[in-house]
This record gives sequence, structure tokens and C-alpha cells, in this order.
Amino acid sequence: MPEHPPGAPAPATELSLSWSVSSHARRLLTLAVAALAIAIGTGRPEFAGLAAPAVLLLAAGRRARPAQVQVTAGLTASRLVEGERAAVTLAVRGADGYSVHLVLRPAFAIVPLPGPGGQRPGHAAGRDAALPFTVRRWGRRRTGSAEIIVRDRWRLAEGRAVLGLPGLDCYPRPAVQQTRVVLSRLPQRLGEHTARAAGEGAEFGGVREYVPGDRQRSINWPATTRRGRLQVNTFQAERSQDVIILVDAAWDEGEPGDSVVDRALRGAAGAARAYLAARDRVGFISYRSQARWLVPGLGQRHYYRIAEAMLAVERDRSYDPGFARLPRAALPPGALILVFSPLADPRLVETLRDLRQRGFAVLIVDVQAGDPWLGRGRTARLAHRLWRMEHQAIRFSLRELGVPVVQWDGQQSLDLPLAPFARRALVTRR
Amino acid sequence: MIAEQPPGPAGQAGWRTGWQAGWRVWWRHSPARLVLATALLGAACLIWAAAPPGSAGPAGPALVTLGACGLAGSVVRLALAGLPRPDTAGYPGPLTRLAAWALDLLRRLPWAEATVLAVLALEALHPARAWHTALLGVALTGYLLAVHLAESSSGRGESAALLWSQAPVLAAGLGLLVLAAGSALLPGAGTGPAGAGLRAAAAVAALLACALAAPV
Repeated sequence: MPEHPPGAPAPATELSLSWSVSSHARRLLTLAVAALAIAIGTGRPEFAGLAAPAVLLLAAGRRARPAQVQVTAGLTASRLVEGERAAVTLAVRGADGYSVHLVLRPAFAIVPLPGPGGQRPGHAAGRDAALPFTVRRWGRRRTGSAEIIVRDRWRLAEGRAVLGLPGLDCYPRPAVQQTRVVLSRLPQRLGEHTARAAGEGAEFGGVREYVPGDRQRSINWPATTRRGRLQVNTFQAERSQDVIILVDAAWDEGEPGDSVVDRALRGAAGAARAYLAARDRVGFISYRSQARWLVPGLGQRHYYRIAEAMLAVERDRSYDPGFARLPRAALPPGALILVFSPLADPRLVETLRDLRQRGFAVLIVDVQAGDPWLGRGRTARLAHRLWRMEHQAIRFSLRELGVPVVQWDGQQSLDLPLAPFARRALVTRR
Repeated sequence: MIAEQPPGPAGQAGWRTGWQAGWRVWWRHSPARLVLATALLGAACLIWAAAPPGSAGPAGPALVTLGACGLAGSVVRLALAGLPRPDTAGYPGPLTRLAAWALDLLRRLPWAEATVLAVLALEALHPARAWHTALLGVALTGYLLAVHLAESSSGRGESAALLWSQAPVLAAGLGLLVLAAGSALLPGAGTGPAGAGLRAAAAVAALLACALAAPV
């Protein structure tokens, strides 16, 4: 079904109804036929009388039935964040005099929610109805299908039709992040971070002697009185920084919805939102089997560009065995590189070492919350030990190079693991 | 400003009244009422058809078991109607798959039909007693209507409206049932040319019922 913007009137679809006997009619038929068969077989007329109410109900409930209905389907939102509530809106026409029941057959990761007035999840009655749902996992999702059930007045016959529903884009739920890691050396660009250099910012830097050309409004009169010479206040410059967020999706492990890649993307979304809110330029690099990047940009629109790039991670099935260095175009000089990775792919680890050697400030958020599932038994225990030792060795070698690695479980705020680096400017040494 | 509820017997009485009112509202709007009605009507039909025990011959216990299973399945199906099917997309665990399979089986099998067939067979195996069968017919029709209302209506008003619209037809059917039972009580019914005519009419009615239930 073609997509249309939410709110715009969607075209109606003509659907043919497939009529069948309802379960109620089937039960009445069982009673009638069995009772009449016993009446014939045993010659007892009271059994024929027992079948009479059922036969009369079946006879009186029969009437001409519509062969087709017109159905208009839409979504209240075609883009949403994991866990947000949306609804499928359905309008059924051409079934006057019949009761209409609508059932949502959800696709993967779509979870129907109860509607208003105690309405069962995924079920609604009436010709115009909304079926609320939420999406459990990010990605370009099919919503599923809607089953339209038309019943006659006594519900003896059911007409059924199935309509495919439009798809939607579900973005990863951003992790909570209030604080930001700021580099000690910032580019010469106006922003919101206090730099070490003196400038025209709002942060007080110190007091010095007046020199011709200084603004009169910056004279510090109490200091002038004390020292007997004109003193002026100095302020620190306010700059912005370039932040590159790198998501390693090469290796995934865990339940869908709480896997390593899910955590990495949620963390990346939270970081992108926090840095864009501080007027920083944010770029995005996703690494699955090959690197794809988005050049740094500013503003809310750029956040949605990054979110779209995150959705593309799911589709990336290509394999690039030659991947070793991240392209220069994706990495502005002096940028802070924030990496969300389980540190499981040796090629990415080599790339991070290379980045550090090229002088970039790299900060790694390890999103591997626990040991991966490797089975049970003695061999699995041995494999776990080996895995742990290898993981510790990787982390140690990165720390030796001056690349901090912090652990994040995907549940808590990102502020907690990043707190040691957010308190003061991150010093980068070549 | 909200006045504080005075402690003591008056406060307790108020709390009890509120609790009773809440319970009454829940009971009025709960589908549990119809499920309970279904269980009671089904059990009444089964007991009515099976009593006195042993009169149905050697097939009696098997038929009672079939009827009881059908009734239990029907009631459990109605009670779990609002339960969502476990999500089996992706890689579900064995327990999830088992739960989904059991729920599918519960919803697919014709439990009420099994009860109806078992009850009718039990009644047919009993010696002829027309008034007994007529009362069973009323209860069995009530049981099927209760199952229907429990699975399809979403509120008290809807159930009443659905039942009320069928009332004339049901009344006519019950009238025919009384007539049939009355004719069965007449001496010599079911024998001779009248009995043959009755059988022919019953066969025509059975064919008619099948034709009426067939879809468009």
C-alpha cells in the first residue's frame, strides 16, 4: 500500500469480503442436525422440537450480504521513537446494518495496546476505529495487517477481509544524557562550551590592567579602586566542537530489543541529541561490515538525518574485508570521537588505535553488558574465560594508548559512565 | 476542603458501601458474568442429561467425560479470550512456543459442539420422557446463546440488545418445542403414518438447517 503523510486523507481501498458461517451458527447447526438425526433415528418427536429454536434462528438470520466494503487505513504517525504510542486508524464503509469488528495482526516488534474504555489490545468495534500500538524495536517496520470482520445482525455469518497496513520508521530511543564531554582544544568557532582562551564569552576569566582599546563597560571598578589603576575584567571564549559518533554494529548479541546493537544505537541517539542541543556539529559513522558516514552538521534536522542513518544500519548486509582506516572526509581535524562498541571486531579495534595515533580524542563506551551466550558445559566455561581475557586485553591495550573505555549497560543514564570525563575538559595528547 | 471521614463504625460502613458499589459496577461490566452463566448452564445440561447415573448404559461415562471436557474447554476458552497470543516472532523459547500452541489449540477446537453432542447422545440413550427432553432443549439453547454472548458482546447493553432482537424467533422456536413435546406425550406418537410423516418433516428440517447455515 502506498504511503501517505499522516493527517492527509488516505485513499479508500475496495475489499472483497469472504463470507463464512460463524462459530455461533456452527454450534446451532450442530444442535439442529444432531437433534433432528436423533428424532429420525429414534422416532422421538421431542428431539425435532429441540432442534426448532436453532433451525428458526438459522432461517430468520439469513439475508442478502454485501460482497465488498471500502476501507480507509492510515497511521497517526509514520515516524516514531521506540516505545512511543501510535494508532492505526480504520474507516469501513459499505456495511450498513452490519456490525464491524477490526483486528490488528501485528508484524514483528509491533505491540498492540489496550484502547479507550477497556478495549482489548488489537481489537476494536465500529466502522471508525483506532487501534493503538507501540513499536518495541527500532528499524523500518511493517505494521502488519488489519482484519475486517463484518457480522450480520445475529452474528450467524461473518465476512472477512484483510488489508495490508502502511509501514513506519521507528527510531532508537535516545539514552538519557545531560552532561557532555568537552575537549580542551576547541576549534575557532562560536559555540556554547567555555574554552581556555580569552574571548567574548559570559564566563569570567580574570582581571588585568586596562589597555587602550578596551571597552569601558568591562572596567572592574572595585579592583580599580583597590589598585589605583584602571582594571578590566576578562572573559573566556565560547566555542563549539565537532563530535563524531561511531556505532559498531558489526557484531550483535542478545534478545531483540536489548541487544548490543540496540544499546549502541540508543546511546548514540542520546549523545547526538545532547551535543546537537549544545550547538555542536555532530557527525555519524556506522560500521557493520563497511563504514557509512554522515558529515557533521547542526540542528534538529540533522538529528533526524542521523536517525535515518541509524535505520540504514539494519539494511547493511555487504561485507568489506579491506576495512582498516576511517575516511578523512568523515573526520574533521580535532574532533571528539565517541565510539559505541562491544569491542568484538578486531578490525574496528585496529581502526580505533589508528585514530588515536592520528591524534584524535577517542572515548569508547563499551555496550557489552555481560558475557555473551556461548552455551553450557565445560567447553562453554572455557570459551567464556577466553572471551573475557581477550576482552580485557583489548581494553587494556586501548587504555595504554590513551583511549578511555567506559562500560554502559543501556539502562542507566549515559551521564554516569561519562561523569569522570564530563567534569573537566578532555585533554588530548598526540 | 475535604472533610475527613470520621473513624469508627460510620467510617467502616462507608468503606463497605463503597467497596460493595465498586464490586457491583465491576460485576455488571465484567465478562466473568457471562462466562459463569455459560459454565452453570452447561453443567446443568450435562447433569440433567446424565441423571440418573447409569441409565445411559456402558457409553454413559465416556459421554459424560466428553461433555465435561467440552464444557471445561469452552469455559476456559471464554475466560482466556482477552489473553494476547504470545509473540512467537524471532526466536522464542520452548515455553513461549508451547503456550502459543496451547492457546491456538484451545481457540481452534469445537468445545461447545462436543458438549452439545455428548448431552444429546446422553439424552437419546435415556428412556423416552418428552418433558425432560423439552426442558433440556431450553437449557441447551440457553447455553449456546450464553456462549455466543460471552464471546461476542463487549458490554451489558450489547448483550441485552442482541438477545432482545432474537426474542420473537426464540419464542417461536420454544413454542414449536412445546408442541413437539406435547405431541410426544400423546399415546401412540411416533408410530403409524403420523410417525412416518413426522420423520419426513424432521429430515426436511435437517436439510433446511444445513442449507440455511451455508454461506452466500
